[in-house]
Amino acid sequence: MSGNMEIKLRRADTIYVIDVIGEMDLYNAFKLKDVVRKMIEKKIRHYVINLDQVPYIDSSGIGALLQVFADIKKNGLSLRITGVKGSVRKVIELTKLAQYFPIVAELDLAIQQLKASD
Amino acid sequence: MSDIKSIQLNEDSPLFQKKGMFHKKFASDFRQIRYYTLMVMQKAPPEIKEINLLEQQISELIKNAVKHGNKKDPRKIVEVWFHFDPSSAHLIVQDEGRGFKALEAWNEFNRRRTECFLRQDFEAMAEFVSFHTPDSDEHDSGNALFAAVEYWDRGVVFNRARNAVAVAKSFPQRRHGIELA
Repeated sequence: MSGNMEIKLRRADTIYVIDVIGEMDLYNAFKLKDVVRKMIEKKIRHYVINLDQVPYIDSSGIGALLQVFADIKKNGLSLRITGVKGSVRKVIELTKLAQYFPIVAELDLAIQQLKASD
Repeated sequence: MSDIKSIQLNEDSPLFQKKGMFHKKFASDFRQIRYYTLMVMQKAPPEIKEINLLEQQISELIKNAVKHGNKKDPRKIVEVWFHFDPSSAHLIVQDEGRGFKALEAWNEFNRRRTECFLRQDFEAMAEFVSFHTPDSDEHDSGNALFAAVEYWDRGVVFNRARNAVAVAKSFPQRRHGIELA
């Protein structure tokens, strides 16, 4: 059965880390889109979406990542996605998006990359 | 990955043979899709559950039937036939809808998408990340079937009315026990 999904925000200088916690499924995935839309309105420039605590993702979750990535690109902002592992990695690979998404292996490295681009 | 996979249209496919399969009927209640999936998954042996990938793929098929097939009309049912063993999974999911009219358009879209992928041209691929039809809404991710044609390695086949999809996958047999020198 679907579990809950929470979103927590952390800040490292100008970079915001969005920790997604729980199942990114057809009932929950929209929450990520809503949060990022509000952050874009607040002129936040650098985003890291951390999926380290996501045990399950479905096509709605992938769709949310695609939408968020498109919104961020359209506004000239930057995104990294980290913590991609297990079934989340497998689903992203099955949809052939592993190289399309800006996936970075480690959270620290993602933050470093975004700081360097500042 | 050198071949471009497609969804088949073949009423006579052996994947539509239902003999020996379990059968369940569900109301088209969108809130219950993950629960329905778990009811089907109860029959799956642990060898093929694969870090919840099988569950995820079955959930997508049921979601498509409830949402796109039956338009979430609770009077319409979704029927699922399924068979699992330690080396294979086989399902048929049928709804009461008008059928997947965009099947050919989807195959063409997926062909162009896969060509971008094979060229590693991710800028061009941005035009093909999600497949939408006039019936799609803002919550439709438009990418479930891209994974399905890769995951179900024995095929994704629709019947003539296009309201039933049959899928099957083989799993590698794992060897158990201790190897003696």
